[in-house]
Amino acid sequence: MITASAAFIIVLELGSVVVGGWFLSSYLLSVYSTRKTRLDRIFGPIERSIYYLGGVNPYEEMGWKAYLRAILALNVVEAAIGFVILLIQGSLPLNPMHAPDMSWSLSLNTALSFSSNTDLQHYNGGTALSYLSQMAVIQFLQFTSAATGLCVAIAIFRGLTGKTKGLGNFYVDYTRTIVRVLVPLSGVAALILIFLGVPQSLSGYSVFKTLELGGSEVVKSGPIASLVSIMQLGTNGGGYFGANAANPLTNPSQITNLFELALMMLIPTSLPFLFGRMLGRMKEGRTLIVASYALYIIDIFIAFIPITQIGEGMEVRFGAASSVFWTVTTTAFTTGSVNASLSAFNPLIILAALFGMIIQATPGGIGVGAMYMLMYIIMTVFIVGLMAGRTPEYLGTKINAGDVKLAIVAFLSHPVIILVPTVITFAIGAQAAVGLGTNSISFTQILYEYTSAAANNGSDFLGSAGNTVYFNVSTGIVMWLGRFIPIAVMLAIAGSMVQRKRYASEALRTDTLTFTAVLVVAIFILAVLTFFPFLAIGPILSYLEGFKNGF
Amino acid sequence: MDSEAHFAVTKFKTSKPKLYKLAILKDSVRRLSPTVLYKNVVMFIVEICFVIVAVMAIDPSLIPEVSSSTDVSFYIEVAVILLLTVWFSTLSDSIAEAQIKNTASTLRKIEKEVPARKIVSQDRREIAEVTSKQLKKGDLLLIKKGEIVPIDCEVLEGIAMVDESLLTGESVNVRKSVGTTVLGGSLITSDSIIARVSVNPSETFLNRLIKLVESSSRPKTPNERAVSILLAGFTAIFSIIIISILALGVILKLGLDLSVLIALYVSLLPTTIGALLPAIGISGINRMSEKRIIIKSGKAIEAAGDTDSLLLDKTGTITRGTRTATEFIPLGKHTMRDVGEAAFMSSWDDDTPEGKSMVELAYQEGFVPHEFAVIERVKFEEFSASTRKSGANLQEPSDFFLPKGGKGLLQHKRIRRKYDPDSKEDEIDIIKGAPDAIKLATKTVPLNYDNIVDEAAKTGDTIMAIAEGGEIIGLIRLRDEVKPGIKSRIAAIKNMGIKPVMITGDIEATASSISREVGIDDYVSRAKPETKYDLVKKEQARGRIVAMIGDGTNDAPALAASDVGIAMASGTEPAKEAANMVDLESNPAKIIDVVMMGKQILMTRGAVTTFSIANDVAKYFVIVPVMFTAVALSSLSKLNLLHLTPHVAVLSALIFNALIIPFLIPLALRGAEFKPQSAMRIFLKNVFVYGLGGVILPFAGIAAIAFVIVHFGVI
Repeated sequence: MITASAAFIIVLELGSVVVGGWFLSSYLLSVYSTRKTRLDRIFGPIERSIYYLGGVNPYEEMGWKAYLRAILALNVVEAAIGFVILLIQGSLPLNPMHAPDMSWSLSLNTALSFSSNTDLQHYNGGTALSYLSQMAVIQFLQFTSAATGLCVAIAIFRGLTGKTKGLGNFYVDYTRTIVRVLVPLSGVAALILIFLGVPQSLSGYSVFKTLELGGSEVVKSGPIASLVSIMQLGTNGGGYFGANAANPLTNPSQITNLFELALMMLIPTSLPFLFGRMLGRMKEGRTLIVASYALYIIDIFIAFIPITQIGEGMEVRFGAASSVFWTVTTTAFTTGSVNASLSAFNPLIILAALFGMIIQATPGGIGVGAMYMLMYIIMTVFIVGLMAGRTPEYLGTKINAGDVKLAIVAFLSHPVIILVPTVITFAIGAQAAVGLGTNSISFTQILYEYTSAAANNGSDFLGSAGNTVYFNVSTGIVMWLGRFIPIAVMLAIAGSMVQRKRYASEALRTDTLTFTAVLVVAIFILAVLTFFPFLAIGPILSYLEGFKNGF
Repeated sequence: MDSEAHFAVTKFKTSKPKLYKLAILKDSVRRLSPTVLYKNVVMFIVEICFVIVAVMAIDPSLIPEVSSSTDVSFYIEVAVILLLTVWFSTLSDSIAEAQIKNTASTLRKIEKEVPARKIVSQDRREIAEVTSKQLKKGDLLLIKKGEIVPIDCEVLEGIAMVDESLLTGESVNVRKSVGTTVLGGSLITSDSIIARVSVNPSETFLNRLIKLVESSSRPKTPNERAVSILLAGFTAIFSIIIISILALGVILKLGLDLSVLIALYVSLLPTTIGALLPAIGISGINRMSEKRIIIKSGKAIEAAGDTDSLLLDKTGTITRGTRTATEFIPLGKHTMRDVGEAAFMSSWDDDTPEGKSMVELAYQEGFVPHEFAVIERVKFEEFSASTRKSGANLQEPSDFFLPKGGKGLLQHKRIRRKYDPDSKEDEIDIIKGAPDAIKLATKTVPLNYDNIVDEAAKTGDTIMAIAEGGEIIGLIRLRDEVKPGIKSRIAAIKNMGIKPVMITGDIEATASSISREVGIDDYVSRAKPETKYDLVKKEQARGRIVAMIGDGTNDAPALAASDVGIAMASGTEPAKEAANMVDLESNPAKIIDVVMMGKQILMTRGAVTTFSIANDVAKYFVIVPVMFTAVALSSLSKLNLLHLTPHVAVLSALIFNALIIPFLIPLALRGAEFKPQSAMRIFLKNVFVYGLGGVILPFAGIAAIAFVIVHFGVI
């Protein structure tokens, strides 16, 4: 159950994030339009030199295919660099703690994981990675994957609003995202985090003598604040330490806890507003933000149903309410950072976490959350819009058979890449390698693993136990498919819509609260229809059996 | 044989023949064959499921892993219900097909074997009497007054008035001159013509249209295709889910029975919309055909539902197109009675609607001359299409682009006055017609005549002058009457968010007064033929979907450009080619029905789709809690909201799933209820009825069926 003070804090947190997102969207509009701003004098030269070095023609307008090709090319190259560095990190500099080379499968998994904005970690960050890997792989990919997500959203917004000829230029969007959005915002956030007590150094570790006679403890440190800021801001979620945001050095206090939460919610929350601004119709943006927050709040309610949230004999650092709120939020925004171990939670909270990762638009990860919401809107408009007695249309364009086909593919890919590997895992008995049986609790953990991978969330039960060739490779594939199939499909829809004829009148007004309510119910039903049986034999069964000791 | 009697008009009965129930049943069974059914993915899968369960019923040990039930009768019951589900679907197809065949045969009756006079010699003297079926393209025909045109042909010589009511149901005389097409089945009401047959009997326009209605290879409309894709998508999703459950059930030993899983699968599949989707499309076309509208492209049906702007001709659509006398205006020393009596006498033998209305008005006002009975009406220059020779300049009253105040009707009447022995003249001429024409034809013109006429015409009415014995005695005001009920239909259109635009060749004053009267905000006056095309383009440029009707050759470009172009069957060939719908009844006001029916088809499709998907929620909650029989999973029974035992739950859900199809067949055939309201209203209402209803109804329905099963031991 939720206490009044917890509810008050949650409302305050959501309220301030929405306000912050609204202000940020105005800035983002200037970033992604060609309009001149005062900041051009600072950022202009940096961007131009990047274009020059990269041999990019910033005035080239891209269609969806060119845009997608650029995204894939860049992501493959980035992931490949990360893969190689991880593979040979032991013999590379900046390795004061002598982290060994990663195995090929773990390197692959980690590179795919961070480049797809998932940040599923089958290793313990504090010991398994060198500083070079932390910065050149982890932190680097956290920036690039967040930038990719944001660019995708912008390109899709352009396609749907139909005010441009193409979807824009990926290299320009990408550069501007990093230079004007991610670096300044995460820089400011890192400074605030340092101020709030999160360490930032390259000095290795400190050894403290404990009160116990002769005992000593090694406290690992490193460039933590800068990593935490981008991990949250970019809805990445890959922690510096295995314990992630439950580690006192990553998340020292309740204040940093709330600040880090706000950080991960900020950009996904601002995107619906940006959509409204780009369209010149804020009410259409309102539909997105209200729908996603309504689902998010439903999600929070589910998580707060159980009276016992934390298993008997378990303890969490920030107390039950704060930990539950974090877990819901980190899955609702598909960030995946954790401030408490999942195995401590009541199955209903796990259900709430799965709910966010199944829908992926509550409000979802950076950029892609808005993308999924648009996918749901297109499906909903098509299914129920016919009942208004007209060919369904969204933003003045008619939804045709091609759009329906693509939206279905995007929607369908999610259950496929979750269910198929889950079934295969049990079929070949791979769950036994990580100490799981064939009961409902084991099933929940495996289902969660692949749902988290497919939703590019990154939170999981397995942790470093998942470091087997099977899990590394299978989740690696799922993460990339879960990332790029929907992106490709939605870019295709946007690309076909950008030049499509716009009609002046719409029968079904998508900017009304009526439609928003229908949309929320439709998304809820679609999620239930796809996953109900699996949730039933997983967390729901565990809950009905009477939850006692966690997982 | 008396040739006149031979050529006499026979009215055709168009009563509906009964649907042959047995034939429908046979057809629906034939459609169960996999070779036919494979086109309907959802139903095809249900049939495959039937086969699997049937195998289990024969011998459960054939599929050992997943047939835990020892109760073979349960498998038989499931198999029977699955087969029924498929059959209900094919039945709905068969009924819809039978209906449309029926409509087509009704339409075909319009075309019948008719006698014809074929010109066989070069000098056109020799004439052979044949029947329409013996004619070939290129034959020359002589068609006289009172005869039925045997086949579509082109007028070579002569001008005639043609009544197409036999073909279309509406009695409007249309003037056909050299070069125009007369349709087979229409009636020549004046004069005679020589015409050349333009088609072979099997290729007549009507025949081609009927074939279009009947054709089984009807292409799917864009929207229907999109719904099919959606259904395929859902089928794929549920297939993956079921296969996953099956695999997990075996591996995790959840105690799954395949037949129960199949029951869940079939319940989840969008069987309702899958079963009814073809029928909805066919019956939509059928409803249009019943209204005598032939759809040339499926796309147009949907575009009709999407219409934003409706271009309406004033004449024929909004107004009757015939002018009715409303007032007698005396001039000079004459009284209103003088004018009325003169109008009455001059119009007595006048069959035009204007003439009849003058008689009627004079009669109402009591302006019947008491000596009328003894007046010998000598000669009446009848209104005729070929009066051009006589010098009187006539124009068809129904001509849409008839300009005001120009050439109008000019009629001439001589009456011999027997009752007045003193009169030196035994004859008196009464002429009536357009004011300027009368002015030229008379000697005495009242003072300020032109000003008075202009003043009277300001209201937008048509003014006629009447002269007796060479002196203009007064004016007659005629008004083009607004069709009854048109005002409420315009209001309905506006309610639906569609903008009506009136087009007329009339002057501004007439246009504004008529449009105000019926509640249209936008109108175009003094329209020229090309104005329509410009207007269509202009509206489209504003991002609107435009529907219009047209009949003349000069409408063809506009018809082709518009999103929904309806041509009148009585119209010219180019217009009909350019249009995407043809109205056999040539009733322009029907465009409003077309729009509403277009919306209804889309709505029905959406409603059944939503209903079908919403149903799944309930079916999940009924079947999932009971489908895993392993002991460890017994806790799931807490989700069993209806507290049904596994077999009862599965059978009830399946029976509900099957029965909902015949239950909704009438909805599919008739279309969802449609009231002209704003789109959001309609949407909200349907979301409640079919969306919310779709979630709740199955719970109630399944509970009721389960009750029957348990308490009456039906199964």
